[in-house]
Amino acid sequence: MRLLLWWAGRALSSAVTLLGISVLIFAALRLMPGGFAETILGPFATPEQKAELAARYGLDQSVLAQYGHWLAAVGTGDFGTSMISRQPVAAELAARLPVTARLTLLAVAAAVLAGVPLGVVTAVRARPGGGGGAGRLLSGLGVSVPEFALGSLVVFVVSRYGLQTTGYLLPAAVLSIFAISATARTTRDAVLGVLVEQHITAAVARGETPWFIVRHHILRNAAGPVLTLTATITAYLLGGALIVEYLFNLPGVGSYVVQAVGRRDYAVVQAGVLLAAAVFIVMNVLVDLLVGLVDPRLGRRA
Amino acid sequence: MNELLEVDGLVVDYGRARALDGADLRVAAGRTVGVVGESGSGKSTLGAAIGRLLPRQARVEAGEVRVGGERMLDLRPAELRRLRRGRLGFVFQDPIASLDPTMRVGRQLRLVLGRRGDVAAHLARVGLDAARVASAYPHQLSGGMAQRVAIALAMAASPELLVADEPTASLDAQVREKVLDVVFALAAEAGTSIVWLSHDLPAVARRCDRVAVMYGGRVVESGPAAAVLGAPAHPYTAALAGSAPAAAAPGVRLRPVPGRPPVLTGPSPGCAFEPRCPFAEERCAVERPAPVRVGEQDALCHRAADLVGELEVVA
Repeated sequence: MRLLLWWAGRALSSAVTLLGISVLIFAALRLMPGGFAETILGPFATPEQKAELAARYGLDQSVLAQYGHWLAAVGTGDFGTSMISRQPVAAELAARLPVTARLTLLAVAAAVLAGVPLGVVTAVRARPGGGGGAGRLLSGLGVSVPEFALGSLVVFVVSRYGLQTTGYLLPAAVLSIFAISATARTTRDAVLGVLVEQHITAAVARGETPWFIVRHHILRNAAGPVLTLTATITAYLLGGALIVEYLFNLPGVGSYVVQAVGRRDYAVVQAGVLLAAAVFIVMNVLVDLLVGLVDPRLGRRA
Repeated sequence: MNELLEVDGLVVDYGRARALDGADLRVAAGRTVGVVGESGSGKSTLGAAIGRLLPRQARVEAGEVRVGGERMLDLRPAELRRLRRGRLGFVFQDPIASLDPTMRVGRQLRLVLGRRGDVAAHLARVGLDAARVASAYPHQLSGGMAQRVAIALAMAASPELLVADEPTASLDAQVREKVLDVVFALAAEAGTSIVWLSHDLPAVARRCDRVAVMYGGRVVESGPAAAVLGAPAHPYTAALAGSAPAAAAPGVRLRPVPGRPPVLTGPSPGCAFEPRCPFAEERCAVERPAPVRVGEQDALCHRAADLVGELEVVA
C-alpha cells in the first residue's frame, strides 16, 4: 500500500514537472526573435503571405490558445506536424531515436567498462596525502574539455588526413572521454569513501585479499553515486547529444532539434525538449529504485 | 613463559601527533589481558598495531610487534594475510559499522566460513537465533546482536589472539555483560588469548588474568589483575582506580584524576604523568622512567619503590 502511494506520488510529481517544462519551452520559443514565416518565405514575403501561413498553422491565435491546442493534442499522443517537412513529429523523432540510442549505448558502455575499473584501481592504490596525481589531472581534463572543442578538433584532424568522419566510432569516442572521466572520478571518490569504513578494516583484519574485499564489500557499497551518474549521463545523451551529433552529421534526435531551433520549427523543438525531459525523469525514478535495491538501508526509506 | 604477543618499544605517529611513545606489552598463550586507559592514551593505536591495521596516515617510527614469534612489521602482504586469517581476530567498538551494510548477516558468515561452514551453528554459539538473524541486514539488528555477529565472524577461525577494542562501549548496560560472557566463553573454549581494550579498570580486573595500564602512549603499569587493582604501583593507576564509579562507596565523592591527559608531539622528555602527579619530583619531568619491578607488577615510575604502601585505592 505504501509502495503504491509512493508510485502515485512519483507519477504525479513527474507529470507536474513535465507540464512546467512544456510551459517554459513554449514561452521561450515564442519569445525568440525572428519567426517561422521569415524562415520559410524569406525576407521578401508580403504581409498577406505571412498571414496566410500563420493561419495555416494556427500561429495567429493567442499563445495561450496555441498552448491549449498543443497540450490537448499531446495528451492523445499527437505531437503535431513539422512545419518544414510536413511529416508528423512523432514519426520523425522515432526514426531518429535509434541513432541517438546507439550513440548513447556506446558512450555509456565505454564509461562503465573503462571508468569503473579505472576508478576502483586508482582508489585502492591511492597513497595517503597524494591527490591521485596523473589520473586526477587526466580525468579533470576529461570532464572539463567542452565537447564542441574536442569534437571540432577530432573532426579537423581526421578530415585533414583525408579519413572518413562518418560512423559512430568517432562521435562515441568524443562523448565517452567525458563519460569515462566523470565515471572514473565518481567511482574513485565513492570507493575512497567506502575504504575508510569500519567493515573494510574488519575484512582486512580477517585476512581477506584486496580483490576479495573489492568484489564483495566495496563494489556494492560504492555503487550508489556511480549508478546515479550513469543514469544522468544516459539521460543526457538520450535526450540528444546536440553538439556532437551536429558536428559529426549524425541524423539523431540532437541534430534534429538543433536544426529545428534554427528554423523555428516549433512543434519539433517542443516535442524534442519534452522527450529529453521525460527521459530524465524516467531515468531518475529508475535509478532511485536501483539504488534502493543495491543499498538496503535506503530501500527502507523510499 | 610462552609469549604469544610481544610488543617492544612501539612508537607510532599520526602526522606530528605521537600516539604511542614506546609501548611494551606481553601476552602469554591462553591468557586474558585488559589494556586500560583514558581516551587518547594510545590503547586503540596499540590494538590496531597488533594486526598492522593502523590507518594509512599512521607511521611506525620505532619498535616491534611479534605474534607467535613472527615480526608483524616485516611480513610480506601474503604472509600478513595468512597470519591474520589463521591467528588473529578483531572486534571493534561500533558493531553495526563493522558489518557490511549491504549484505545479509548469513551471507557475511558464509563468506568467512566457506561453502561447508555451518552458519547456523556459528550464530547459535554466540547466542543468536539463526532463523531470525541470518536473513537480516546489519541495520536491522540491535547493537548487542550486531556485536554477537561480529564476534562470530572474528572467532570463526578460532584465532590464537582476539583483540577487542572497547567491544561494549556502544552497547546498553544490560547487554554489556552478556556480550562479554560470550566473548570470554568462546575464547576459553578455543584457547584464544584476549587483549581487551577498555577504559573501565574494575570491569577489566574482574574478568582478565592480567591488566596493562596505558598513559601518554606507554604501558605505565602491568601485572596480575588483582595486584594492579588492589595495590597499584603507579600513581596514575591509583588515581584511575579512585576515579572509577564502581570503586566508590555510596555517598562518597568520586575523585577525578586532576588535570588533562597529555597531547604528545614527540617523545615525552620525562614521565608523561608528571604534571598531574601528586608525588612528582624534579627528575620526573626530565628523565624517562625505566621499568621497575614492584611486587608482582612492572611500573614505569621513578618513585615506584618509594611509594609502596603509600598508594591506596580509596574505596
